[in-house]
Amino acid sequence: MMTDQIPVCGPGLANTANGLFAHYYRGNIAPDDMLDASGHVRQHWKLLVQLLDHLGPVELEKRWAMARQLIHENGVTYNVYGDPAGMDRPWVLDALPLVFAAQEWADLCDGLVQRARVLDMALADLYGPQRLLNDSVIPPEVIFANPGYLRPLRGARPFGGRWLHVAANDIGRNQDGSFCILADRTQTPSGAGYALENRIVVSRAIPDIFRDCQVSRLATFFRSMRHLLQAAAPHNRENPRIVLLTPGPYNETYFEHAYLARYLGYPLVEGADLTVRDNRVYMKMLGGLQQIDVIFRRQDDDYCDPLELKPDSSLGIAGLVQSVHAGHVTVVNALGSGVMESPALEMFIPRICRYLLGEELKLPAVTSYWCGDEEALKYVLAHFNKLVIKPAFYSADESPVATESLSSKQVETLRVRVLDHPSHYVGEEQIPLSTAPVMIGGRVEARHIAFRAQMVAAGDSYTVMPGGLARFSMSAESMIVSMQRGGGSKDTWVLSGGPVDTFSLLTPPGSPMGISRAGGDLSSRVADNLYWLGRYVERAEAIVRLARGIIGRLVDQNFDTSPELPTLLASLGAQVRMNAPNVTSSNGESLLNNMLFAGDLPYGLQMTLAAVYSTASLVRDRMAIDTWRIISRLDVDFSAKLGKPGRVSELLATLDKLMITFAAFSGLAMESMTRGLAWRFLDIGRRIERGANIVLLGLSTLTADQMRAPSILEAILEVADSAITYRRRYMTSLQIPLVADLLLSDETNPRALAFQLVRLQEHVELLPSSHLGAQLTPIQQILLRRLTELRLADFGRLVTLGNAEDSGLRGFMEMATADLFKLSDLICQKYLCHAAPSRQIGSSTVKINPGYRP
Amino acid sequence: MAVYRIQHLTRYRYQEPVTVCHNLAHLIPRDAPRHTWTQISLDITPDATRSMRHDYFGNPMTVFAIDEPHCELQVVSRCMVDLAAPQTSSLFPTGSWESVCKMLSGRPQDEFLAASEFRFRSPQIHWNEDIYNWARQSFTLGRPMAEAALDIGKRIYSEFKFVSGSTNISTRVDEVFQQRTGVCQDFAHFAIACFRSMGLAARYVSGYLLTAPPPGQQRLTGADASHAWISVYIPECGWMDIDPTNHVWPLERHITIAWGRDFSDVSPLRGVILGGGKHEVTVGVDVIPLDADGDGVLITELWT
Repeated sequence: MMTDQIPVCGPGLANTANGLFAHYYRGNIAPDDMLDASGHVRQHWKLLVQLLDHLGPVELEKRWAMARQLIHENGVTYNVYGDPAGMDRPWVLDALPLVFAAQEWADLCDGLVQRARVLDMALADLYGPQRLLNDSVIPPEVIFANPGYLRPLRGARPFGGRWLHVAANDIGRNQDGSFCILADRTQTPSGAGYALENRIVVSRAIPDIFRDCQVSRLATFFRSMRHLLQAAAPHNRENPRIVLLTPGPYNETYFEHAYLARYLGYPLVEGADLTVRDNRVYMKMLGGLQQIDVIFRRQDDDYCDPLELKPDSSLGIAGLVQSVHAGHVTVVNALGSGVMESPALEMFIPRICRYLLGEELKLPAVTSYWCGDEEALKYVLAHFNKLVIKPAFYSADESPVATESLSSKQVETLRVRVLDHPSHYVGEEQIPLSTAPVMIGGRVEARHIAFRAQMVAAGDSYTVMPGGLARFSMSAESMIVSMQRGGGSKDTWVLSGGPVDTFSLLTPPGSPMGISRAGGDLSSRVADNLYWLGRYVERAEAIVRLARGIIGRLVDQNFDTSPELPTLLASLGAQVRMNAPNVTSSNGESLLNNMLFAGDLPYGLQMTLAAVYSTASLVRDRMAIDTWRIISRLDVDFSAKLGKPGRVSELLATLDKLMITFAAFSGLAMESMTRGLAWRFLDIGRRIERGANIVLLGLSTLTADQMRAPSILEAILEVADSAITYRRRYMTSLQIPLVADLLLSDETNPRALAFQLVRLQEHVELLPSSHLGAQLTPIQQILLRRLTELRLADFGRLVTLGNAEDSGLRGFMEMATADLFKLSDLICQKYLCHAAPSRQIGSSTVKINPGYRP
Repeated sequence: MAVYRIQHLTRYRYQEPVTVCHNLAHLIPRDAPRHTWTQISLDITPDATRSMRHDYFGNPMTVFAIDEPHCELQVVSRCMVDLAAPQTSSLFPTGSWESVCKMLSGRPQDEFLAASEFRFRSPQIHWNEDIYNWARQSFTLGRPMAEAALDIGKRIYSEFKFVSGSTNISTRVDEVFQQRTGVCQDFAHFAIACFRSMGLAARYVSGYLLTAPPPGQQRLTGADASHAWISVYIPECGWMDIDPTNHVWPLERHITIAWGRDFSDVSPLRGVILGGGKHEVTVGVDVIPLDADGDGVLITELWT
């Protein structure tokens, strides 16, 4: 395709022969953004080319290495669906921006604004009077057979009459260099955040060139976005509460959601954070419910309300549609706006424009043919081999396909499908897409590009972001420009042709800011995840401690002469909830392996570590980078090793390493987390779990008949990390009451039950609505009762009574366990219960989400 | 003319408390030809915050939520209906089915546009080549529309077997077609798929049906749930009801509550709950014909 190439030459490029662009060639089929038809650098690229040449390839490469580092540190990622390795794919950004001249850009904006207005008005009509259908502007089938047309939204009157608040368009160039719309993004347009991140990286890498080129700044666009969201609030207009709704970390553009939320200053929430009461939307905070006025959503239309839209969506907010009808909340973009993305509609946009605006469409889109129309079908069949065939409506099963790329047999199959259901397909002309220079391994080469322009509503019209996200194809031949399919991105520079507005939303370094110490309120969902993260980490640690004690003995000692071994194994069995293993000398090793590695044992090590990792990834945005690094090492380093049961002696080293990882995690939590609610819930989880584990250890050892041998007590002290303290206090005399006191009642021993209860008392005091006037809350009552029991305990007497009666040591510990469970339940009910996943009754099959937590 | 008193009870019992529930009910009857409604009520226990609106198809819809813990939810709708006799029960002379197809697919006029709504795929209505071929047999060249429509109803009635419990809520139309068994909802969906595969307009009707108890048997109270049939668009006479489950004219004994593209548009009660554990559901429907004095004679449905 690119055989006949034209080298860069011409005036204005003195150094070109040896410079960065010396080997840049353009093809002669597609237009090139930098070079004109005769191979001369276009006027608006000249300054950039000159400055880059001056900088030189070596310096540029050096600076770009730093930029890559910045991208890595900022954690810019793009998730690729259906590819396990695709999670958190690093962002690919090219050093060379795409440049637009001021005038060409202004003309483009004109067309984009007109288009956004048309789409907005069309939405208002389709979800209202449907004049477009009554007057035959659009055939009924295009709307009525369209799964994107959400009937429950008809008759909704969004605040201000606006349906489309933000919009984006993918744009490419025709053969003659003119602009052409490739796609409309009307539902949850992505790209604005990536464009901003790209700009920040590029402008830091080549700040002088950026300044000299007088590039229009992006910040004003985001200022408009903030104004828009603020103005969209139906109530509480002085100080509306605005949230950014994300489907969660598995979404392909999750990075952008988190990034935008931080940049714009709105909380990032998931569906489970919100609830509808009395037709109003609230955010579930630990301190109670807070009404939300505007939802800036990045979640697809039909996933937003399981009650009225997609019934099996676990991401949605039940009752949201009714709340929209009641006018108590504004959703941006309005629910149902996705219908305008249907390829079937494209063919009718010029007509719709004429009908609604009385104007001709200024900016054409790729010519497309909806096969439900007889004439269009004829055309498509006659030109089948040159077109791209797309599903007419959004479809998860089918994607667009260029017939060129198919075998003749595949073409025939597709043709039959189109003939069978013409109205399900659209044929689309292919356009060449222009090329632009991209740095590929130190050389500058031509790649096909498309870019995404962003718009935000302002008053009666729209503002276009002066820039956008440009993307390039993976290879010189490929015209597939998609982050999902490889390729990379570019910054887009719109030359201002004059002084630049340097407004910024980022706080300039050194400018004074009000001091804020309060951690603020915390959403129940985040608190819930932190609480369970604390519990899982502690649980994993308890298992590893026990396992280490066992392995040490399995390696060194003779099973039959070490009475503590079966006891310790039984204790581990109790810890991992494996039914009473009958320990013998021959099955010790296999039992141990099973307890640690069984993939179906919810309390086993394998599944607990998996739970640590998955829970941590849900609160990743709450974690310092270092903390996340530790957690991710847990996954990388251990899941592989632990997957294969090996010789116990080798296992010991792995478990030792695991212990150090836990210690690093705890250390960071203690030393780097501010003492806000987030830290408290992490620690509450940890304290409850540790308390329960130490009692469990006591129950499975101290009261067992056969195990009063000193070696057993020694082993317990070692597992509980209290051997040194004991020896210092009591020299070598091992007695059960003393051990019990040290592990249960000693408030100075960080491993003792009493220590955990004291910490919990402190936390509970500082949680929201923790007081009931002068009365103690049930949570406070339990803590006080249990702590008092521990302080008054006479272990000598308790040990003597032993298992015989409820009042013996066993009963004492069983009551402690019961209280800890009750405590956990009460905390979950009071603070976390709203975070549970919801499910369907009635029309659809009952589906229980995997929200169960062992 | 006939007057009926109707009571429709739904009760959910949960193993564990439900902390919050959001529900959507299509239990308040809609405006429909020949139906005159009085004494409509909807009782919800425990107390719920509720809103009413009309859905896309003009059915009254109740959205309600309960945000205090509860182990039981009970929804009872009651109403009286005066069902006028149809003007004629004989078959309208109608144009050929081909002419109806042509009218519907041409330039939409107001009424045709409304009918177009029911010509395409919808969440629970899909068809394939086999279903189309089966339907095709009723649509012989130039056959009057109403006659062809009735023939579809008759063939389903004779070729399909009503087997309670043979399908569930997510059984697809093509599965019903393959196994040739189902309940009223499945037959309605299958019939709709037949008409739509021909390019005709058919909608799903949800309601109640008065049936006499088997001879010599006692009438049971609240023995069963609602009934479903379909309605086909015929330009000469508007919408014509067909009950493929019973192959009777759905006239004096069929009471319409709501209609939509398929069951998913008009399911009587559905919801999203938080908590609850396992649950069991009880549904009871009573349709009581009233005599001239307004006294009720209890008659109960036996449909699943």
